[in-house]
Amino acid sequence: MQFELNENNALLKTSIREFLEKETPLAKSRPMMEETQEGFSKELYAELGNLGYLGLTLSESEGGAAAGVIGLAVVLEEMGRVAFPGPFLDLVLAGETLSRVKSQQASQFLQETVSGQKSVLLARSEALDDLERSVIQTRFDQDTIRGTKLPVPYGASADVLLVTTAEGVALVPRPEEGWKATSLPALDHAQRFVEISLDSPGRLLTDKQSADTILKEVDQLGALGASALMLGLMEGSLELTLDYIKERKAFGRTIGSFQVLQHRAADMWIRVESSRSAVYRAAWALENSLEEASLLVASAKAYCGDSARFVCGETIQLFGGVGYTWEYDPHIYYKRVKTLEQLYGSTRNQLEAALQSQGI
Amino acid sequence: MDFQFSEEQQRFRMELRAWLKENLERPWIEELRDPKNDEKKLFDIRRSWQAKLHESGYLGIHWPKEWGGRGLTVVENAIFAAEAIHAPPIASRVGINLLGPALIHHATEEQRKRFIPKMLSGEEVWCQGFSEPDAGSDLAALRTRAEPDGDDFRLEGQKVWTTFAPWSDWIFVLARTDPDDRYGGITFFLVSLHQEGIEVRPIRQITGESEFGEVFFSGALAKREHMVGALGEGWKIAMTVLAYERGSMSLAHLARFDHYLKDLVEGVRENGSLQRADVREKIARLLVEKEVLRANGYRTLASLASGQAPGPEASLEKIFWSEYSRRLADGALDLLGLQAHLLVHSPHARPHMDWAQEALYSRAVTIYAGSSEIQRNIISKRILKLPSS
Repeated sequence: MQFELNENNALLKTSIREFLEKETPLAKSRPMMEETQEGFSKELYAELGNLGYLGLTLSESEGGAAAGVIGLAVVLEEMGRVAFPGPFLDLVLAGETLSRVKSQQASQFLQETVSGQKSVLLARSEALDDLERSVIQTRFDQDTIRGTKLPVPYGASADVLLVTTAEGVALVPRPEEGWKATSLPALDHAQRFVEISLDSPGRLLTDKQSADTILKEVDQLGALGASALMLGLMEGSLELTLDYIKERKAFGRTIGSFQVLQHRAADMWIRVESSRSAVYRAAWALENSLEEASLLVASAKAYCGDSARFVCGETIQLFGGVGYTWEYDPHIYYKRVKTLEQLYGSTRNQLEAALQSQGI
Repeated sequence: MDFQFSEEQQRFRMELRAWLKENLERPWIEELRDPKNDEKKLFDIRRSWQAKLHESGYLGIHWPKEWGGRGLTVVENAIFAAEAIHAPPIASRVGINLLGPALIHHATEEQRKRFIPKMLSGEEVWCQGFSEPDAGSDLAALRTRAEPDGDDFRLEGQKVWTTFAPWSDWIFVLARTDPDDRYGGITFFLVSLHQEGIEVRPIRQITGESEFGEVFFSGALAKREHMVGALGEGWKIAMTVLAYERGSMSLAHLARFDHYLKDLVEGVRENGSLQRADVREKIARLLVEKEVLRANGYRTLASLASGQAPGPEASLEKIFWSEYSRRLADGALDLLGLQAHLLVHSPHARPHMDWAQEALYSRAVTIYAGSSEIQRNIISKRILKLPSS
């Protein structure tokens, strides 16, 4: 039994935290979210590629850092803490998908993804109310992919899409024509959802059966990654809250000295720390390919979803009126976790997955 | 990071499992259901079970060998608690779990020699004299006095919520030795219950049982040689006791909760509602939270096993398991309906699970060992560093 991070992961935590605190405190990252078309800084993502973060989980022979699932969780937790903008997790998942496809072409695109030269993203969902992609209507036929994907997070900034079709996973490089991206503005103003209609040339990378196997593994990593992001987001949101209630005065005293607020802060902390236990236990199980990983990942995602909603919502409440203003930061955290609750396997679906993993 | 039991720990579990199979005659729930067993008889069963465990080296598993322990770690101790859920609870639970660590950390060698062996064998059963009618959550408000009498002391006052008081031989008491010093005026004594000047009255609980009692002191003798630590060190020692009371218990509770949730799932399968969406969602959340509880438990265990004393993080565990225990019992009463209300000896009661008892008892767990509110105070003051009013 040991809960501490090993030396490599502890080092990783320090490095990424320093990087993020320097490059993207909210004062610097909010303009990226709010004033750029992409919603993030392409330069920073190229820098992350240079530093090896985009291939964190991949093997060294693939140009990766072989930091494992725990390493990925460490980095995502730190990114959550500062509400780091953009499709970091999506790029990692696209890389993981390519790495599982054994073809020369996939390896070439993998190199470009990992190094940050090209933005490769998965396009899977076809309905806003069915994020589980139960029926895929997009078709691959005679070297052409036809269909509509929505929402594709950050899809407009992709150079290449990995599109799920009824025939398997297809690779669609951005062509001059036949790729229509329509923006879908949503609750989280930092998010960039698009609807993409495809009638585009592309190549099939896998058949349906191996696509299912590959994507099942990638989905677990996605759910774990989203849980780690939510852990970090809660942590950041709790830090904001504590700073605020230790400063703000009302009725002649610091509001953090009122027991009613202290107990609410304690409940937030309980959620954060319990989420931390759940996320790292799940990461450990996934890294070691243990049988209980499916239960633990589903549990972590569902629990972090419920907890993050609670913690980031409480932050707005404890800030009072200013917590409802655009100027203050609580809504950045709140909106991000509301989106993460739905993406990478919604809470509803994770609860069902947890039951099924136990034969219930 | 490692959330796994080592090979030796797994071997310990397997040996223990075989030993239990050999030695446990029938599950505790059947003893409870047996009309021949009154409260006195049930306590005797617990006492003789404890003696059996002691002979085989299954008590004080994580205590040093020199004090009659097995010299293993908190991890093996947690494994024991998890494996033995169908066995009778030991008679001297309060003594071994709470007083034991306090004696090991704070007592003199003579005191350890005098008290630990008989505590382990069950010859002397202990209860805890902390709470008073006007000192519950605010424990430092306690008023039971220890007045000097020659070299020794005489106790005047009253303790309450004293678990097992009616069956105990000894009590460890926090008593005031200085009325003007709130924390520094408290001293820790070991006091025999079999003497003049002591009266024990049972208190009937909402379950109908009388596990608790009140203890009245009127001039009872507290010997100086049985004072633990120095005069005025009682508060410090009490904090050790409370930390152990809160810490590292998740795994034992988890083993019970695993069993309970399994029964709940079986019950909804039998009543035909398992495919209902509302039922599935409720059960799924109970399942998920149970895994989070396990993760928290492993985490605390890892920190204790690395030699750290239980800290304020123990408050997290206490709140989580106790509040989970309420949600689980309430969930079962919702989903199983009146079947879960039937007492263990009633016709039609569920055969392996006493939900009625569990539902009522779950209202006690968020109060004892530092109420949920006290735990939240500890978290907000000691961890979040929020200012005092």
